[in-house]
Amino acid sequence: MNEPPAAVTSPPSPQPLVRVTGVAKSFGGVRALRGVSLEVLPGEVHALLGENGAGKSTLIKILSGVHAHDEGSIEIAGKKVVFNSPSKARDAGIAVVYQDLSLVESLSVGANLMLGREPRTRLGFLKKRQLMSEVDDFLKQHGIPLDSRALVGSLPFAYRQMTEICKALMGDVRILILDEPTSALTGDEEQILFDAIRAVTARGVGVIYVTHRLNEVFRISQRVTVFRDGLNIGTFATAQTNMKNLVAAIVGPGHASQQEESAAAPADAPAPIAARGRDGEPILVLSKVANDRLRHVDLTLRKGEIHGLAGLIGSGRTEVLQTIFGLRPIESGEISIGGLSLGSGDPAQAIELGVALVPEDRQLQGLILEHSIERNLTLPRLRYFSRWGWIQQRASVQQAQAAMRKLAVKAPGPSTYAKNLSGGNQQKVVFAKWNHPQPRVFLLDEPTVGVDVGAREEIYGLIRGAAKGGAGVLLVSSDLAELLLLCDRISIVVDGAIVKTLERGAFGGAEELHHMIQTSQSFEERAA
Amino acid sequence: MNDTPPSLAAEPSGADGRRADGMRGAIRLLVQGDRPYMLYIAFAILLVIFSSTSPWFLSIDNFLNIGRQTALVSIVAMGMTFVIIARQIDLSVGSTLALSGMCAALAMSYIANVWLVGAAAGIGAGALIGLVNGLLTTRLAIPSFLVTLGSLSAARGLALMLTNTKPVIITNDTYFTIFGEGYFAGMPAPIAWTALAALVGALLLHFSVYGRQIYAAGGNPTAALYSGIHIKRVTTLAFVLTGMLAGLAALVLSARSHAARPDVVQGLELDVIASVILGGCSLFGGRGFILGTLLGSLIIGTLNNGLVLLGVSSSLQLVIKGAIIVAAVAFTRR
Repeated sequence: MNEPPAAVTSPPSPQPLVRVTGVAKSFGGVRALRGVSLEVLPGEVHALLGENGAGKSTLIKILSGVHAHDEGSIEIAGKKVVFNSPSKARDAGIAVVYQDLSLVESLSVGANLMLGREPRTRLGFLKKRQLMSEVDDFLKQHGIPLDSRALVGSLPFAYRQMTEICKALMGDVRILILDEPTSALTGDEEQILFDAIRAVTARGVGVIYVTHRLNEVFRISQRVTVFRDGLNIGTFATAQTNMKNLVAAIVGPGHASQQEESAAAPADAPAPIAARGRDGEPILVLSKVANDRLRHVDLTLRKGEIHGLAGLIGSGRTEVLQTIFGLRPIESGEISIGGLSLGSGDPAQAIELGVALVPEDRQLQGLILEHSIERNLTLPRLRYFSRWGWIQQRASVQQAQAAMRKLAVKAPGPSTYAKNLSGGNQQKVVFAKWNHPQPRVFLLDEPTVGVDVGAREEIYGLIRGAAKGGAGVLLVSSDLAELLLLCDRISIVVDGAIVKTLERGAFGGAEELHHMIQTSQSFEERAA
Repeated sequence: MNDTPPSLAAEPSGADGRRADGMRGAIRLLVQGDRPYMLYIAFAILLVIFSSTSPWFLSIDNFLNIGRQTALVSIVAMGMTFVIIARQIDLSVGSTLALSGMCAALAMSYIANVWLVGAAAGIGAGALIGLVNGLLTTRLAIPSFLVTLGSLSAARGLALMLTNTKPVIITNDTYFTIFGEGYFAGMPAPIAWTALAALVGALLLHFSVYGRQIYAAGGNPTAALYSGIHIKRVTTLAFVLTGMLAGLAALVLSARSHAARPDVVQGLELDVIASVILGGCSLFGGRGFILGTLLGSLIIGTLNNGLVLLGVSSSLQLVIKGAIIVAAVAFTRR
C-alpha cells in the first residue's frame, strides 16, 4: 500500500524537482500524514486526489513551509530541505495558490501582480508605466484574458483566481501548487486556466494539482497520486488508468461500487426516476421577471422536479435564485409561489412562503462560522423555535440534533462551532437550516463545490429526497455532469435571460450541453 | 481546502468540540461568554490588590458606593453590548444622557410635576435619539462611528440650547425616591436599576428571538440576510435600546443631584465602551454577554474607587485607567 509509487510508471529520467519520501506529520495525537511519498518532474502536471481529511492539505502546508514535517525527507532538486517558514519555501521556488485568495481588492490586477516588487525610481517613486507594461507583457505572453487595470474587487471570482495564479507564476517559480483551482470556474475559464498551466509546464515548471474533479485529472495531468487516511495509495500514469480505478483508490475498499455512479461519466449514470415531476403542478412561476441583472426570465418549476440552470459565470444564474429569494428587488414581471404572488425584496417573506436557499459561498453567505451549529440551524426558522419572542431552548436543540442525524453531520454535538467543521459538513449544516419544516421551493447554488466525493453523494441524496418529498428544486451548477445526473430539465441562462429549456432526453452528454451553452452565448451576443 | 482540520471536526474530543445543549448552553454563555473565567480572575485580582492596600476598601458601605458610582456606566453599557454585538458603535451616549435628563426635568417643570411624566420624557427622548442614530446608520448606510460622532456633538448642543446652558432644578420627592435615594429589596435605587437593566438585558440577549437575531446580524450580516433576518430593523432596535438606557441613566443621575445639567458626563462613552470590551464583547461583532459587561463596568468602577482610596492624584488616575484598559483588552483578546 505504501510502496514507492514511481515504480508503477515508466522510469522517470530527469531529476525530480521535488522528492517527498516517507513524510509523516501529527497534530496533537492525530496522525494527519502517516508516511507519504511523491515526486514531481520538471514540466509535469501531477494530480493529487483524495477525500477531505486524506492529508492533501497537510502535505501542501508542509511543502509551503506552514508546517514542519515530523518524519521523512523532502528534497528539492536533489538537496534535502526543511522549511520552517513560508518564505523559505518561496525562496526554494514553491508557490501555492489556495482556494481562499489573498489579493488586495482595492488595487488593480497589475498592482496586485507586482505587489512588493514594484519597479521604482531611485527616489523610491513607483514607475507605474513600466509596471503596467511588464504586467501586460506577461499576460499577453501567456494568453491570459485579464485587464491589468481592472480593480480586483470588481472582478468575478474566476478572474480573481486567475489573478492569483498569475501572481504565483510571475516570481521565479519552479513548483506551482494549485489547490482546487477550478472549483468556481466555468468551462471556458477552465480551458483558459488549463492553457495557462500548459504554458508554464512547457517552461519546465512542475505543477501539483489538487482537485476533487476527476475528469480534470484526465484532461491536464500526466501522473496522479491518490491519498487516503494519511497514506498514499498509489501513483498512476494518467494515460494508463481510468475513472473507475481512481474512484476505487480514493474511497477505499467497500465503497467503490456505490461511489462509481456519481463520479463516472453522466452518460453511464442511471436516469432519475422516470418522468418525475414532469406532470406535477407548478409550485414556482416566474413571468417576465426583470431587474438590474435580469432581462427577462420566464420559468415554471413543478412539484417534485429538479430543474437545472446552466450557463457561464456572470450569466445571471445566481441572480435568478437571489431574485426569487427576495435578495434583489424586482423591477417588472411577477414571481408566484403556489399561486401566491411574492413581494419584492424581502427574504423573510420568501422563507415564509416556503422558499429555501443554499447559497454559493457557504462560509460567507450560508453560515456564521463563529456560532454553534444549533444557532446556525435555527436562524432562518426562528419562529418555529420560539413562543412570544422567547427561544424554546429544548425544542431548538432537539431540532438541531434531529437535523444533524438526518443529514449525517459529523460533529461532536449541536454546540460545536461551524468553523470547526470540514467543508462537506459545513455544507450539510447549510442544508439542515431548512430541514424543518420542509421547504416547497429549494434554490441551490453550486451545492457541491469544495465537497469531497463521499459528502457529494450524500448531498445528491438530499436533493433527490427533497424532490421526492414534493419540493421543486432549482439547481445552479457549473459542473455539467452534476446537472445531467440530477436534473429533469435544464434551462440555459445567457446574460440575464433564459434562452432555452431542455427536457431530459434532449440533454445529450456533458460535451453537447457545454457546446449548447457556448452556442447560445455567442448567438445572444451576435443578436445584441 | 476543506480537509484542513480533519480530526477536530470528526473527533468528539476536539479542542473546541464543547458539549452544552439548550438551557445549559444558554446559561453557559450567560455566565462565561466565549472566554471562560478570565474576567472573574481579573476582577478577583483587583479586589485582592485594593483590599490589601487600603483598609477602607473592603467594606459593605464602600461596595455600595462603588455600585452607586458605577450605575450610570453599567446601565448604559447594557445597551452598548447590543450595539457592539451588532458590529456597531454608539459614541453619543454621554450627550444622549445629558439631553434626556434635560427633557425629563423640563417636562416636570412645564407639563406636570409627576415622576412618570419625567420618566417618560427622559426615556422617550433617549429612544428618539437612538432611533435617529439607528435609521441614519442602517437606511443611509453611514458608518455608525460617524453618525454617532455627529449626534455626540448635536445632542450635546441641543441640551445646552434648551436652557441656554443653565441647569433645571427638580422638585419631585417621589422622583428622587424612585430613581435616586430610595431602596428596593435592600438595594439603593441606582443599584436596583442597574440590576433590573442587567436582568432584562440578559433575558433579551440570551433567551429571546431578538437576541439570536442580533448575534447573527453581528456575527455575519450576509448570512443573517440570507436567513431572512431583517438586519436593519434589528440593528436600529439596538440603538433605540441604548438610547432608552441612556435616558434611564439620566433619570438616576438627575434624581441624585436634584437637578438636570446640560454639561454632565462628558466622555461617558469611553467608560461605557471600555466596560463592554473588557467584558468580552468583540468589536468585530457577534460576541459578548451581559454578565461580562456588568463585570467589566464593575472593574472600571472598582478601579476608579480604589485609586481614589489609595490617594492617587486624579490626573495619574486617568493614565493608570487608560493603561489598564488597553492592557486588559490586549490580554483577553486573541
